[in-house]
Amino acid sequence: MAKCKSCVVLPFLVGLVASIVLGWWGFPKVLYSQKTQPIRFDHVVHVEDQAMACEDCHAFRDDGSYAGMPTNANCVGCHEDVQGEDPDEARYVTEYVQQEKEVEWLGYQKQPDNVYFSHIAHKELDCTSCHPDVANMSTPPVYYENRLSGYSKDTMKMWQCEECHAQSGASNACFVCHK
Amino acid sequence: MGLDRRSFISLVAGGVAGSLFTPVIWKTLDDVSIWTQNWPWIPRLQYGEELTVPALCKLGADAYGVKVKTIAGRPVAAEGNPDHPLSLGGICPLGAASVHLLYSPSRVKNPKLKDGSSFKDITWEEAEELLAGKITEAGANMAMISGDETGSVTDVLSGLVGKAGSDKSYFMPGESAPAAAALAMLGGDGQVGYDIENANYVLMLGADALGSWGNVARNGKAFSASREKGVKFVYVGPAQNGTTAVADSWIPCAAGTEPVLALGIAAVIAGTNRDRSFWPGFASFAKFVQTSYPLEKVVEITGVSAATITGLARELARAGRPLVLTAAEAGQGLGAFELAAGMSLNMLLERVNTVGGVRILPWAPKVVEAAADKKAMLANDLVAYLSTVADGGAEAPALLMVYGANPAYALPNLAKAQAAIDKAGFVVSFSSFMDETAAMADLIMPDSYAFERLDDAYSPYGSGQPNYTVAAPVIKPVFDTKPAGDVLLSVAAKAELDLGFESFEDVVKAKAEALGADFDEMVEGAAWVSEEFPAQDLALWTTPLQELAVAAQDGKTLALAPVLRLKIGSAKVAIPPFNTNAIRFDEMLGNDMYVLINAATAKNLGLKKDDAVKLASSGGECKARVRIFEGVMNDTVVAPLGLGHTAWDAFSRGKGDNVYKLLAADTEAETGLSRFATVRVTVSKA
Repeated sequence: MAKCKSCVVLPFLVGLVASIVLGWWGFPKVLYSQKTQPIRFDHVVHVEDQAMACEDCHAFRDDGSYAGMPTNANCVGCHEDVQGEDPDEARYVTEYVQQEKEVEWLGYQKQPDNVYFSHIAHKELDCTSCHPDVANMSTPPVYYENRLSGYSKDTMKMWQCEECHAQSGASNACFVCHK
Repeated sequence: MGLDRRSFISLVAGGVAGSLFTPVIWKTLDDVSIWTQNWPWIPRLQYGEELTVPALCKLGADAYGVKVKTIAGRPVAAEGNPDHPLSLGGICPLGAASVHLLYSPSRVKNPKLKDGSSFKDITWEEAEELLAGKITEAGANMAMISGDETGSVTDVLSGLVGKAGSDKSYFMPGESAPAAAALAMLGGDGQVGYDIENANYVLMLGADALGSWGNVARNGKAFSASREKGVKFVYVGPAQNGTTAVADSWIPCAAGTEPVLALGIAAVIAGTNRDRSFWPGFASFAKFVQTSYPLEKVVEITGVSAATITGLARELARAGRPLVLTAAEAGQGLGAFELAAGMSLNMLLERVNTVGGVRILPWAPKVVEAAADKKAMLANDLVAYLSTVADGGAEAPALLMVYGANPAYALPNLAKAQAAIDKAGFVVSFSSFMDETAAMADLIMPDSYAFERLDDAYSPYGSGQPNYTVAAPVIKPVFDTKPAGDVLLSVAAKAELDLGFESFEDVVKAKAEALGADFDEMVEGAAWVSEEFPAQDLALWTTPLQELAVAAQDGKTLALAPVLRLKIGSAKVAIPPFNTNAIRFDEMLGNDMYVLINAATAKNLGLKKDDAVKLASSGGECKARVRIFEGVMNDTVVAPLGLGHTAWDAFSRGKGDNVYKLLAADTEAETGLSRFATVRVTVSKA
């Protein structure tokens, strides 16, 4: 009888543990593809060496909307020609600036079109509350793209928005985010 | 230890139980639900900076400033430009749809050469070389047609034709030509404009000023402002329309006979006690109108009662700053004598070249030396020319170039116009769209669309003051198109015809300089305006007076009242896809258009609602359905222009019929201008 009991319990435990391990460790590796930014943008060089502020590139427009990722127009002031010896900078100048082609930066937190997010309404928060602290990175973090949904792994889910709104006393009415 | 059946089931059960403590199931369900919203055909928002960029709208007969809203540099909507004197924040139905036309399925996406019954794609280099060769071959035997009276591209095209030795530069029909000729009959010289804003009584004789005529957006703003000032707007015409919907009153008047009414009112005013005998030309004018247009005769021709005519005369005489706007319901078709009738009424009221009256604007400065003078070009009558070519009375041009116009669709005597175009040796269209003329052309060199090119406009017809607008491109060409002005200069150089300019921008800058306007300021959206009006030496008619030709009522035919509704399109563009939803249930039935007659007329003809009918005139035939509408005079049929396209796209092709086919024109002997505002048609069951 004891032998019979171990024949049931042990495989169950093995299956349970294996499933949990595969679910937490293997499943994400299958679900997300890894991508790198088209150009390895070195924030440290710009922030520390050139003393640039975040707002120099990630600025609010006059109408309060947020410019988000910079375009070539922001960069050509300095990078019309190659400035240094970084091969990525040279590639940016030759493949994008000179070809008048915009870099398709990967947005770690890009929300779906049906979500209206206003940066200016959240300007009191620290950027790193939601975004990776790229200002201290020479290489942007890996971008994990969900193979099913197509969104970034770091795209904030609705419950996260609601949780923060609830904690800060902001409205959680539908129309606040869904216009 | 072997894995027996029981152990395997336990293993699987453990795996399933374990999966419940992982994100596999829950995350997969969530992501699949998101995946179902990500079909590739679902439009995506484009994010970026939102700007409003000044631009020009020339889709109708008017040319006025608009503002184009762009997101990340991409135009998404057009709105009125509050800073532009001809918009004042207003926009017409075509302007509202203008951005969407940028991506219209009927855009010509690259140069095309006729290949049998279809076209083959060619490069711009090939197209320019081909046209340069044709120009050289044709020599002076060439002609040009332009639908843009205001822009400098017309000057460049006319200059090219002139440099080659030809004087065959033509505009599409409009009211600028008869108005200029009418002014000349009164001793004046210049462009005719109307200071509606400062008038305190506006009599619209056929002019659908609040729907489709003149500077539509500006007219609407003037009307809006007039409400607080107690200014009266009176519309005279054969049917209710957009203008009558808001005007203070509508006076029904037989189609095309509004100028007769003007002379009838003039006869009443001339007969008042005031001594005008010292006015140049007054004596003969007064004698003419009182002899030729006694009240009872005017009543008979126009259908307007004697009391109404005298009442109008009284109101005009007492108004202080009255203004009479004379036009055909469709904005074209009146002869010079007919427009002069309305102009003489303004003269009699002392409302010419004065604040709140008719203004005489200076002609645009000529910067392309070889181009025809605008005044001379307006005197060249396109309808008569093409009819003569079709009849064999004149040699067909070896080369015909068409810019900003669709003569194979939007001309009276249409069959002859099409025959003449067909007889031309080589036809080049610069249309941005596959219109009927482009479809007939041998070569299409697609002009970049309005928002993709530098363009300008000098004082469109009706402007109350001289004005000049320059608009820079809002966006780079979406397709492989080029601005016609630059293409023409390039081709002229290849054909060794020196027009004096290397780029179209230089032409515009030269015009701005000649006017004393600041090019850079205008590109930013500030229109140049002037308050300088050339002095005139006017008289009440300097040419022999004559009675106006009016088609006789015969009891068998109806007066045709063609109407222009800008939402449906214009002589230049077919209905924009964006506007198809604006077509009402009472304007179309399936693919058939409605024509409007009143119940009494329908009864006389034995017709009832929705009957399929055939309209026929000496010009041609049209098919339609009957709609009974009591806002139409007896023995009158209202038919919409702008339908019945055979080219363009699925949004306009085969919808309704082309009413231009019914417009049979005759020629005014004294001026050589065509007139087609008093066409009569038979209406019978189809």
